[in-house]
Amino acid sequence: MVKEFGAWPETVWASGDRFGGTPVCGTDVGTTSVQAVIMSDGALVAYANLRCGYDFGEAAETALTRALKAAGLSRGDIKTCRATGFGRRRAAFADATAEEITCHGLGARYVFGPDVRTVADLGGQRTKAIRLYDWDRVRDFKISDKCAAGMGRGIERIANLLEIPISEIGERSLSAEKDPEPASTTCCNFMYPETMGLLRQGFREDEYSENDVLAAAMFTVAWRALGTIGKLSPLDIGEISLDGALGFTGGLAKNPGVTKRIERELGLSALPAKYDPRLTGAIGAALLAERDINPR
Amino acid sequence: MNKLQDILEHRHEYARDWKKRTGGRILGFYDVYFPEEVAYAAGVLPVRILAKHSEDFLTDRLMYGNCYCTRDMLNQFARGDYDYADGIVSVESCQWHYNAFDTTLIEKPELWSHYVFTPDYTDARTSKNVMRSELDLFRRKLGEWTGKEPGDEDLDRAIDVYNRNRQLLRRLYELRKFDGTPISGSEAMDTVLACQVMDKAEANELLEELLEETESRPPREDCVRLMLIGSETYDAALERIVESLGANVVIDDLDNGTGYIMRDVTPQRDRLMAIGMRYLLKPHSALKDNVWRRRPQRIWEFIEDWQADGVIIAKQIYCHPHGSDMYMVWNLLRERNVAFHTFERDTTLPYEETALGIEALINIIKPGMTRLRGQEV
Repeated sequence: MVKEFGAWPETVWASGDRFGGTPVCGTDVGTTSVQAVIMSDGALVAYANLRCGYDFGEAAETALTRALKAAGLSRGDIKTCRATGFGRRRAAFADATAEEITCHGLGARYVFGPDVRTVADLGGQRTKAIRLYDWDRVRDFKISDKCAAGMGRGIERIANLLEIPISEIGERSLSAEKDPEPASTTCCNFMYPETMGLLRQGFREDEYSENDVLAAAMFTVAWRALGTIGKLSPLDIGEISLDGALGFTGGLAKNPGVTKRIERELGLSALPAKYDPRLTGAIGAALLAERDINPR
Repeated sequence: MNKLQDILEHRHEYARDWKKRTGGRILGFYDVYFPEEVAYAAGVLPVRILAKHSEDFLTDRLMYGNCYCTRDMLNQFARGDYDYADGIVSVESCQWHYNAFDTTLIEKPELWSHYVFTPDYTDARTSKNVMRSELDLFRRKLGEWTGKEPGDEDLDRAIDVYNRNRQLLRRLYELRKFDGTPISGSEAMDTVLACQVMDKAEANELLEELLEETESRPPREDCVRLMLIGSETYDAALERIVESLGANVVIDDLDNGTGYIMRDVTPQRDRLMAIGMRYLLKPHSALKDNVWRRRPQRIWEFIEDWQADGVIIAKQIYCHPHGSDMYMVWNLLRERNVAFHTFERDTTLPYEETALGIEALINIIKPGMTRLRGQEV
């Protein structure tokens, strides 16, 4: 069996704190992974994060079951549930769905704090750039087009190709002395053979190091994400400090090889995430679920 | 479904039946800049070639790199969908349309064909004379083909029928100006498209019936009102997705929509000049909106007049004119604080992908809408 290098380990977490209030659930059924979070009175109680197979519905069920078990709750304890993400309509247990833009906007303020104004969701299939008002409303958003949309998936393929764990490839790409030319930015299906080509040109003979090849791939993804972020309406400079207004969400938010390159190009330092940034969409969905039972 | 929508769905059967009934000839055309009135005056039925999503027979080797719509136009000819067409005609418009026209003639050399040069610089000093001479040439060529060159009386009759059609369609669009518009965006778009594939005199009768029926409909529930801008579309699939999300497209700036129905032929002694001027003065697409750049102002007027709350910009992939014009439209909308969503599409329109952005746009708009207060946001 071929060893999998491109997947993040599946995680389950519970705060362990006693909680009161009414537990609600939010789930983000993405193209690559699914997250389920349990929240109560605005506090994160538990979450589960796992890979999606082709069956989005089953993956969402499993994630919810694991999160409930970690929280010591049963299905009947959950007052309401909202689902978001590409496969949101497949989450049969959800009482309502919500689109990802609103969820990531809401979730980002929870994960990064109230200063966040620009959210870059670097997902498995798409990049979504979101600009928020000074409050938790979305002001503008841009979604990457079909072409070259396979961002996270593309990086997973590169990790498998080079047989380097996905948790390491970002840091290793940063150790390249100088960023080489990026691989093709047209599509991840072009990026992959180009990366193969770089390898064939002979990194083993020290023409390219493995890290150089990784840097070329990361640069490609960062470049494409920058294109999407750059299409957002301008931030009102002067209103707030630009620095610290940026937050990365999604799987690639955990890849410094991509995020550092984006920060460098934008001249910004991203806000640190208080929680795993992959949970942002699910947290946003849970916050919407809380609003469903307690309308403002 | 109204009768016109039914004809649109069965447009090939309609065309074959028309041919059988009248014994007339049918001319396929690619672009709304084609002066249909001249062909109609010659007793020929102009039928718009509309793209759809279908299996690809030829285009990977003959038209690779063109937009999918125009590739599909060739496909449909290869498949025999347009076996009733006696000829095809192209005008100076987008290069992909021309490629589809040209390549179809390679595959189907038996078709009669003609190319009408409609100036890209519509405001230039010589444009109207160039346009008139092109129409005159087209009239003579039609005469050679059909055996009867259309005269002034024929042109007058055609102008009347086409002006009437545009007036009726504008009345339909007027109904969309009001809250609780009785007609959905998809029904309106289907109706305009149906008029492009059928005999306008017959279309006018059905339109009058439809208007009478629509004007007596109860108002629809009020919802987020959107405008649709962008490349040509050949169906109302996008409007249907918008409606599935509880919103409605109330106005467009599309060649197939307002670009087709706005501006009548103003009668003058020189009929060809009158027809030519209509096509030089009609609302222009991104391709022909040169020099004076009237398009942004027109888009803004549509937004105001039809009370659009937000805008969807849908660009066909590989559509260069709209690709370059889009940023100017973004600037306009940002300056005036109009929420918008831009995306690229082709003949397929995957629901989840498309609905995501539109739903997010609706959610941006909804909280600020006082007239929707009380509805769930």
